[in-house]
Amino acid sequence: MEVTLRIFRYNPENGKKPHYEEYKVTAEPTDRVLDLLEYIKGNFDGTLSFRRSCAHGICGSDAMRINGHNRLACKLLVKDLHGGKITIEPILGLRVIKDLIVDMEPFFENYRSVLPYLINDEPAPKKERLQSSEERERFDDTTKCILCACCTTSCPSFWVNEQYVGPAAIVTAHRFIFDSRDRGAAERLKILSGQFGVYRCHTIFNCTEACPREIEVTQAIGEVKKAIATGDLG
Amino acid sequence: MALKRNVGLKGIKYRGGGPMISWALHRISGLAIVLFVGLHVISSFFMQQLGSDFATAINTVYESIYFQFVMIFIVLFHALNGLRVIILDLWPRLIKYQREATWLQWLIFIPAYGMTVVVMILNQLQGG
Repeated sequence: MEVTLRIFRYNPENGKKPHYEEYKVTAEPTDRVLDLLEYIKGNFDGTLSFRRSCAHGICGSDAMRINGHNRLACKLLVKDLHGGKITIEPILGLRVIKDLIVDMEPFFENYRSVLPYLINDEPAPKKERLQSSEERERFDDTTKCILCACCTTSCPSFWVNEQYVGPAAIVTAHRFIFDSRDRGAAERLKILSGQFGVYRCHTIFNCTEACPREIEVTQAIGEVKKAIATGDLG
Repeated sequence: MALKRNVGLKGIKYRGGGPMISWALHRISGLAIVLFVGLHVISSFFMQQLGSDFATAINTVYESIYFQFVMIFIVLFHALNGLRVIILDLWPRLIKYQREATWLQWLIFIPAYGMTVVVMILNQLQGG
């Protein structure tokens, strides 16, 4: 099938304003959008810039806006786009460095602000810190996050203010807050109850819809809100 | 140099689907309610203090049946959507059923709005 790709282009070095360029390529229905981008870069325009690494939906490098939705280019098949025209743009709310590449630093700054690591000053046992299957299950969903930023950059609250920690940072905080081995929940909940914390979430569900790992992001945010309100980590 | 951070109208074009439309409608209906209450306050003020034609003109606008059809739609949607969000906020484990919650919201909205409109039309026909 023939597919037309309309791609956002911006190169700060050539003085041109941001614009869209169209490329016509022949694709198999089972091709991924990333395959088409690679084809264009290899055959039409070597200056086309985008991030990619593992190309298997694990590294989270190739998040972009495809036909208006945040998606990973390596996970989205041409046949699932139902049409011969594909518009590809950078994710929203972060500064565009070149073409589809955005400055991820504000995103990672928010991520670091929620202390995304295990905190436990108690003396370590002889072997590992034990945990039951039920205790592990409590935060299983939020361990799946790959920090692709699909959720955060689909959130209107983040579009308005990049200081809002955003869904991805809250998902990471959730992963540690509800971990029975962690002792930093109170500190994290204090950070997240602040001006740019969880209460900026207005239950819009764009994050849940955008997550390529199918994490129940809004539910995780809701559970953190409830933990702040009740102090209950159950 | 990187482009300036600028979302603006591009955000409106983001395809968040039904939940995003509900959120946008909730904001718009909230503003509309403020506007309606504002009109009511202004008209009462002018009516009591000046008894002016201006107040009568405002009254004619918001007492017209078409305006009331729109206002009831807005208030009822805002109230039911707000209730849905409050319930999901209080019981986050229900969030996985948010699609069903939205369907339920419309299932309550449609007969409630429909019946209200029918009663209003009947009243109007009877000269009430």
